Amino acid sequence: MRELFLEEGLEDRVLDDLRHLWESKMMQSKAMEDFRKNNINSSNFVLQLPDNYGLTEPEPASLVIPASQNIHRFPVKNTSETVATFSLPAGLAYPVQIPAGVTLQTASGQLYKVNVPVVVTQAPVGQQPVSHPTQKAPAPPSATVPSSTVHRQQVEPVSAACIPQLPLPETTSSKEINLPQQQQQQQVPAADSSHLQEVHSPPSEVTTGENNLSAQPEPVNFSSTASPSPCSQELDFQLSTEEKALPQTALLKTKDIDDILKEVIEEEREKAQRDLDYSYSELSDIVQLDGAADNSDMEEEDVVPLEENDFLGMINAEAIKVLQDGDGSSDGNSISSSDSEGADKPVEEEDPLNSGDDVIEQDIPDLFDTDNVIVCQYDKIHRSKNRWKFHLKDGVMCYAGRDYVFSKAVGEAEW
Amino acid sequence: MDSSNDDALDIIITNVVATFRTRCHLNLRTIALEGTNVIYKPEVGKVLMKLRKPKITASIWSSGKIICTGATSEDDAKVGARRLARCLQKLGFKVRFSAFKVVNVLAVCSMPFAIHLVDFTKNNRPIASYEPELHPAATYRIKHLKATIQVFSTGSLTVTGPNVQNVATAVEQVYPLLFECQKPLREKRRGELRSQE
Repeated sequence: MRELFLEEGLEDRVLDDLRHLWESKMMQSKAMEDFRKNNINSSNFVLQLPDNYGLTEPEPASLVIPASQNIHRFPVKNTSETVATFSLPAGLAYPVQIPAGVTLQTASGQLYKVNVPVVVTQAPVGQQPVSHPTQKAPAPPSATVPSSTVHRQQVEPVSAACIPQLPLPETTSSKEINLPQQQQQQQVPAADSSHLQEVHSPPSEVTTGENNLSAQPEPVNFSSTASPSPCSQELDFQLSTEEKALPQTALLKTKDIDDILKEVIEEEREKAQRDLDYSYSELSDIVQLDGAADNSDMEEEDVVPLEENDFLGMINAEAIKVLQDGDGSSDGNSISSSDSEGADKPVEEEDPLNSGDDVIEQDIPDLFDTDNVIVCQYDKIHRSKNRWKFHLKDGVMCYAGRDYVFSKAVGEAEW
Repeated sequence: MDSSNDDALDIIITNVVATFRTRCHLNLRTIALEGTNVIYKPEVGKVLMKLRKPKITASIWSSGKIICTGATSEDDAKVGARRLARCLQKLGFKVRFSAFKVVNVLAVCSMPFAIHLVDFTKNNRPIASYEPELHPAATYRIKHLKATIQVFSTGSLTVTGPNVQNVATAVEQVYPLLFECQKPLREKRRGELRSQE
């Protein structure tokens, strides 16, 4: 297996593998969230593929997928190296497939290189990932995600997952032995090229016990996990081509994968923002609310609270925080009629508020309801007594009927 | 001037703090979004609303408790508090103005003479305390009035008490004590002589 991959050029292989893994994970995660069953559920995945991969995903910034989401993202770059760094957050309970050529980095910072596709299955004890180092230059230290255990778990569950993932519907628990066999079986029908056959060779690297690295079956696993037919097809592509043989198909795949990934990413983002991922959502909310941002929802909300220019900064900042925190407390009750409430408790000691009679409404604020509006993000809003200072950015100001766009704005106001 | 002459002394009320309840739960988010002149502090869990007319800043909590600060008189505080409740009512909350209470009044006063703090503290041992390394003023607490007076060597006083009346009484009480310990006039005269020369 290793030989095969090496021969073919790990880069391509890894790329394809990753793609497949991506796709498979996504599909699986969407379809099933079974734990150890059926297929791999991608848990939090941070993949950094610093190089290479033909996928047009955004740069290798690792994307942390919330645990609740089973989306597997691959930030893929097209670079020469085929170093992909996986860092799976702890708690990863799903089998994870790691394509060959991926560098796994555990929380401890150790880098494990997977020369051969690895299937990490769930395992109680995080064992050392069977990734096989060397052969490739040490992967650049990618973002360290505290996932040593996860990593290991990944390794294990991956292998376990491999087995069930195999296109064959049977979902056997992770068993190394089965893997090769199944893989072989699967590969036979799926594989087109001889590579598959070669892949069939029992994963020598597979370790006993919990460590289940199935180097060989990885590509197969990918395919199997996702779905038999497409995966196998993809697998075929992978195996059969090094991006050379079937560039077109690869492109197609990439496109599909990209689309899928993009969708997934968007979904995740939305979820993240709305889920319990407070920090992330808050951050995103803050940024978005103030100005052009990812969510159109936020933008809309921005417009709403805008009032006078003087209060924009304050209101925006506050609105953002308010929206984020989402005070769940019950709303203020029904609107009380402005009149006749005084009759309820004429005793001053108790409830002297005779509604409109005693209290004069402040008309001054009404004067400020102009159309001068600024929609922006804020860097800093400062107040000293009644002196306000605004440091704004990335906004549009509508003043005197004219629109002004700015990337940075500084203002002062007295209240 | 005279020992018991507090008529000539100007006691200037600088701050009146009052609290009241709305007897209903308030949605801070709604207030922050729809209210005017509001500052939302989610980390603390309150909304600040500033009023212009009686210059007042109110801290509004979701429980319905409101602390009103910045007024210059007790009446002002009450008017401001009612205005505030009215604002909240307009936002849609079933506000009932209840339990209004002036909690603290802060006033300043200036003696026409300087004060020798050490003597003053010695004369009023248990009641007055003076720790120059910590604070440049001597603290004089009147228990039965629940008032605290901070005496500075320049002759300035800051008085805090539960209401204006207490504050005035406290100043009256402390005046004769201060008068005794006033700094010798020679320093003033020195200044005068120098200026004359």
